Amino acid sequence: TSIMDEDSKPLLGSVQAGEYYTDSLDPKQRRPFHVEPRNIVGDDPQERVSAEAAALSSRVHYYGRLTASSDPLLVPPDHVIPSPEDIYIYSPLGTAFKVRGGDSTAKNPSIVTIFAIWNTMMGTSILSMPWGIKQAGFTLGIIIIVLMGLLTLYCCYRVLKSTKSIPYEDTSDWEFPDVCKYYFGGFGKWSSLVFSLVSLIGAMVVYWVLMSNFLFNTGKFIYNYVHNVSSSDAFGTNGTDRVICPYPNLDPDGDSSTLQYYVSDNSTGPVFDRWWSKTHTIPFYLIILLLPLLNFRSASFFARFTFLGTLSVVYLIFLVTYKAIRLGFHLDFHWFDSSTFFLPEFRSLFPQLSGVLTLAFFIHNCIITLMKNNKHQENNVRDLSLAYLLVGLTYLYVGVLIFAAFPSPPLSKDCIEPNFLDNFPSSDVLVFVARTGLLFQMTTVYPLLGYLVRVQLMGQLFGDHYPGFLHVFILNIVVVGTGVLMARFYPNIGSISRYSGAICGLALVFVLPSLIHMVSLKRRGELRWPSAVFHSFLVLLGVANLFGQFFM
Amino acid sequence: MSSTAMKKKVLLMGKSGSGKTSMRSIIFANYIARDTRRLGATIDVEHSHVRFLGNLVLNLWDCGGQDTFMENYFTSQRDNIFRNVEVLIYVFDVESRELEKDMHYYQSCLEAILQNSPDAKIFCLVHKMDLVQEDQRDLIFKEREEDLKRLSRPLACTCFRTSIWDETLYKAWSSIVYQLIPNVQQLECNLRNFAQIIEADEVLLFERATFLVISHYQCKEQRDAHRFEKISNIIKQFKLSCSKLAASFQSMEVRNSNFAAFIDVFTSNTYVMVIMSDPSIRPHTVSHSLPASAATLINIRNARRHFEKLERVDGPKHSLHMRMR
Repeated sequence: TSIMDEDSKPLLGSVQAGEYYTDSLDPKQRRPFHVEPRNIVGDDPQERVSAEAAALSSRVHYYGRLTASSDPLLVPPDHVIPSPEDIYIYSPLGTAFKVRGGDSTAKNPSIVTIFAIWNTMMGTSILSMPWGIKQAGFTLGIIIIVLMGLLTLYCCYRVLKSTKSIPYEDTSDWEFPDVCKYYFGGFGKWSSLVFSLVSLIGAMVVYWVLMSNFLFNTGKFIYNYVHNVSSSDAFGTNGTDRVICPYPNLDPDGDSSTLQYYVSDNSTGPVFDRWWSKTHTIPFYLIILLLPLLNFRSASFFARFTFLGTLSVVYLIFLVTYKAIRLGFHLDFHWFDSSTFFLPEFRSLFPQLSGVLTLAFFIHNCIITLMKNNKHQENNVRDLSLAYLLVGLTYLYVGVLIFAAFPSPPLSKDCIEPNFLDNFPSSDVLVFVARTGLLFQMTTVYPLLGYLVRVQLMGQLFGDHYPGFLHVFILNIVVVGTGVLMARFYPNIGSISRYSGAICGLALVFVLPSLIHMVSLKRRGELRWPSAVFHSFLVLLGVANLFGQFFM
Repeated sequence: MSSTAMKKKVLLMGKSGSGKTSMRSIIFANYIARDTRRLGATIDVEHSHVRFLGNLVLNLWDCGGQDTFMENYFTSQRDNIFRNVEVLIYVFDVESRELEKDMHYYQSCLEAILQNSPDAKIFCLVHKMDLVQEDQRDLIFKEREEDLKRLSRPLACTCFRTSIWDETLYKAWSSIVYQLIPNVQQLECNLRNFAQIIEADEVLLFERATFLVISHYQCKEQRDAHRFEKISNIIKQFKLSCSKLAASFQSMEVRNSNFAAFIDVFTSNTYVMVIMSDPSIRPHTVSHSLPASAATLINIRNARRHFEKLERVDGPKHSLHMRMR
């Protein structure tokens, strides 16, 4: 039988005898990118990669061709991926490197996590600490700072643990609002959204007031420096380290806001003062700068500047230390009565401090995300406590030092402003640096806050982070408008902080974490009466904190 | 006779989300487009006209869904669906929390099979086993296997435990295909003879559509136990690339200084892979006779005709269809 009767065309293309082999003479040209070492005949077969890992690699390559690269359907889950010892990177030069460090997600050591939490918690409340201590009384103020730190730490711990006690669900990418939604349905989701928005918009309003303040003082400093005008119109100490009391003869139980009307600039002042006014014109100038920034689609550009926040806090600590050294300590302890220059150690206005502290220690809406990347998850509680300790110490340091160093014989302690930088004249160079630096830092954080508001609100209402330019623009107008109005008519950051802190703290710090803990214990049948009493007490504390803002 | 002209079916059934679409995509090298994936359920019958083991057509059905529409459609079309079935492959998700419901749907499928295609072979796959802890896998599988065998009476079912992340899926489907090939023992015997005649190191026989290894002969111990699956994956990837160019894969020759491998069409249902590590295949050996590779290819082609005859003569139902067409 003839061999080639069926097909006349050869099975392979026309291949000359010689040319086929010359190519394989040069092995380096033909070597594939990935060669499993054991398939190289001739080398002593070292088991560098286990058989299972090699097979899995083959599977992953193949499955990757079956779907689009962004499709998570055929992506190997974590429990299937071999341990780091089995993963090698092959270089085209033929050597293989072991993968250093294991995980695809960046895991941070404890120190980085602690720093991230400290950095996120440090906010404008640091400027209000001396005022808060003043409102509560020196001794009571310190006690309250410590107690509130411990309370909010416990509630934060509850938030952190809340995802762990949910059975049958994969909670690995849940945040606290998702937990609220799981326990309380739509009501939980919407209430956590509303209260989170209160804290964010409250912060944005405070930012607007402060930015107007800092811009005003910066402009004034430059104007005075250029025109060589020395402004000694405010009542204050004499000498090089001048401390002023912007609104003397205050009613000790009231806000400084009422005096704003009387000390506002009138049209009889110089032209500059008319066009450069802290409350009348600058809040509006800021619109030109900040409203466009809010309309950016993505805020990742601004996220690069978070290091400025750390810098400004460090500088403030330095500034406070310097001023305290220069001014010396002026403390006189009157326990329950007030004197001309000093205040009682225990005052009935202490809820104002607790309101501010609720906002100062607030991180409950993002602690789960921050802790997720901690390398040693078993140290989460320890790291969280350390972070809170550091934050508390920072607040205590700034508050106590400014309060103690406030020159009381000529000035009354009651003069301490909700923004302690206001107690220094606009001609003070170090404080000018602080103001300018903070102004710049706040300009970069403000759009980030606006972005968070937009994402949360638009995401819940429309399901899309950017439903349309008009929606986002209207939201930004509303937020900016609130800021401008507050800066114009009620620029008291102490009050704004304490009200927004108490309101959002009621839900997100006191009520929801405690309720969720009690409900989850009840569902497992483990709710005992001491725990129920304690957590109900926490809820009552939150309510009392809120009422205290209105009635004290 | 219309019924014999109708294609025989392989039913791939299971609850929505049990992994059937992924399984089919992996075994048959089908690209999964994003939309068809997780819109709740496999919306319609997925006819894939894959020439699987002759003239079998793979049908994919979601069973026992949440959707009342699916339920009604399923019940009204029941006889249509279960007629002419050659193989039923039922997929169970090992993580399912509704075991009672799953068994209930399985049983109703079996009833329909008993009524409409009582000769069908039944295979049960306990899938997603990678989600179970390693030390518990045997135990859990044994439990499920017992339950399923008991529930399937009087029909006989073969159970496998599978996961797309280890070799169990490939092995399970290879076993299924092995049981469906007519005369598979005779094929193996002839394969061994063929391999010994041409002095090959190893000869593999693959199913054509899925490149599942049906049978193999090796003359010495090979190091890599996972080589079948790896070869299958490589060729399927190559087929995917070919299909992008609207080309179809027919044959391949891979060689280096130590070995030569030939992959070629063999019979209408199979591919063959021959591996020779004859040291006489040396680069500088230019003999005046035919180059060794060409000789092997001719041998393969000759053997092909013999194996085709083997498949045709004793093969039951589906080969009969080919005659009658």
